[in-house]
Amino acid sequence: MPGLVPDEACDYLFKIILLGDSDVGKTCVVHRFHSGHFRERHHNTIGVDFSVRSLLLDGKKVKIQVWDTAGQERFRTITQSYYRSAHGAILAYDLTRRSTFESIPHWIHEIEKYGAANLVIMLIGNKSDAVDKRQVLFEDACTLAEKHGLLAVLETSAKEAQNIEEVFTLMAKELIARNTLQLHGENPPNSIYLDSRPVIASQSPEKSPCLC
Amino acid sequence: MEERGGAGQEAGSWQYRVDSYGFERPEDFDYVTYEEFFSRYLVILTRRAIKWSKLLKGKNSIQKSLKVKRYIRKGIPNEHRALIWMVVSGAQANMEQNPGYYHKLLEGEKNYKLLEAIRTDMNRTFPDNIQFRKTADPCLQQTLYNVLVAYGHHNKAVGYCQGMNFVAGYLILITKNEEESFWLLDALIGRILPDFYSPEMMGLKMDQEVLGELVKMKVPAVAELMDRHGVMWTLVMSRWFICLFIDILPVETVLRIWDCLFYEGSKILFRVALTLIKQHQASILEATNFPDICDKFKEITKGMFVTECHTFMEKIFTEPGSLSMATINKLRETCRAKLLAQG
Repeated sequence: MPGLVPDEACDYLFKIILLGDSDVGKTCVVHRFHSGHFRERHHNTIGVDFSVRSLLLDGKKVKIQVWDTAGQERFRTITQSYYRSAHGAILAYDLTRRSTFESIPHWIHEIEKYGAANLVIMLIGNKSDAVDKRQVLFEDACTLAEKHGLLAVLETSAKEAQNIEEVFTLMAKELIARNTLQLHGENPPNSIYLDSRPVIASQSPEKSPCLC
Repeated sequence: MEERGGAGQEAGSWQYRVDSYGFERPEDFDYVTYEEFFSRYLVILTRRAIKWSKLLKGKNSIQKSLKVKRYIRKGIPNEHRALIWMVVSGAQANMEQNPGYYHKLLEGEKNYKLLEAIRTDMNRTFPDNIQFRKTADPCLQQTLYNVLVAYGHHNKAVGYCQGMNFVAGYLILITKNEEESFWLLDALIGRILPDFYSPEMMGLKMDQEVLGELVKMKVPAVAELMDRHGVMWTLVMSRWFICLFIDILPVETVLRIWDCLFYEGSKILFRVALTLIKQHQASILEATNFPDICDKFKEITKGMFVTECHTFMEKIFTEPGSLSMATINKLRETCRAKLLAQG
């Protein structure tokens, strides 16, 4: 059953894969989530990198394994082998570079093709600290997310620690909710959709997370 | 950057925060232990330097021979490294046969997408090396950019693959010469290595399978552990092989490995991987779950075992046992056929 891998030290273990074009800030997002720091200087990721963090959510211990991937297209041939076992996918674009947003449908296609059928997908627009260079409207991201039935869109800043915790918490909560439903047998597996409409959240307070 | 002199400069200067290649040392760098190792290594370096200058007798060429192979396994002194790499890899011959070719590539028509992909990685190539900072003078970023752009237009089937930036970066640090770096990169990607960097990455996938088979033969308990927990070799070794151990192992150790890579070919990568695994077998086998296994594979690339580059290099030729090119070729053939059949 997805999301319920037995582990002696936690109630839930979720595997989340992070995808998106080169240099959108995937590694910085993971690093911020994992260590609480921002690394200005780092290498481009080669292949796949792996890190784990535990969260306490509603009294449950949740372990999150994050799979950080290389953004260059040719590395998909290597990273694809990880899609299958992932429970959730976070697709990232750089909101200051339009082309990285335009690639998102390709990434969705990839994950639909190689990932599990009931995979939860979220979209994040990173580098929200650089809004003055914005090339992607938040509204456009929402439209895209709705069209593809993604769980949520959030604008994040790994640099300023905006919405990073929220991304992973939201993902984990959704995965727990789906699991609980499955456990109680209220729905057959692979057909659980609590709400296929996206939860929308940007980094500004007036656009706090909400159902649309 | 006035001289090619490498490791020797840092003797007795453990307070230096930057090594002789320009890499900043991490905050938790263990200077005392390193200094202990280095004072011992310096004796070896000096002895090797004398032997090499006798061998070369001031000439700029060298014939392949058993003696040279032995000398290379014991390490090429940094002042001769660029020259020997150039000669034994055939890069020197190619450069001489194609005068002006490199510059023509740089002046020719450009593929914009390729330039963009290369540019994306410029600030992400050795940001911890002072010579690659934008503020450095001369700034090696521009040199790196040129080498990668030229290579991408020279070998259009490969273009640019992430990871090549690190490999080219090391070549530049050692040769301090743009054109030589280009021809050495060509020797590596075009001749010495299987197709690691092409869009299908077939050579990389093939060598991952080959490593899996070799571990099955030589360290079966580890192969069984990986199998049981569903850890794919690609997770562990794509970075090892694509970056040719850059940023995985210490700089000096990487250079010693490359000495043999240029002379003996790509099977040296398997020797290094197998040595790391075999040497740490007991520790790896302590892992009881997937994340632990991943951590173990990071752990085994750190510590004195890999820092002591001279003993490490001796180990790679004894620890894994015999590893003939015939065995590797046969495994490669079978693995490639298997992958192609899978589509």
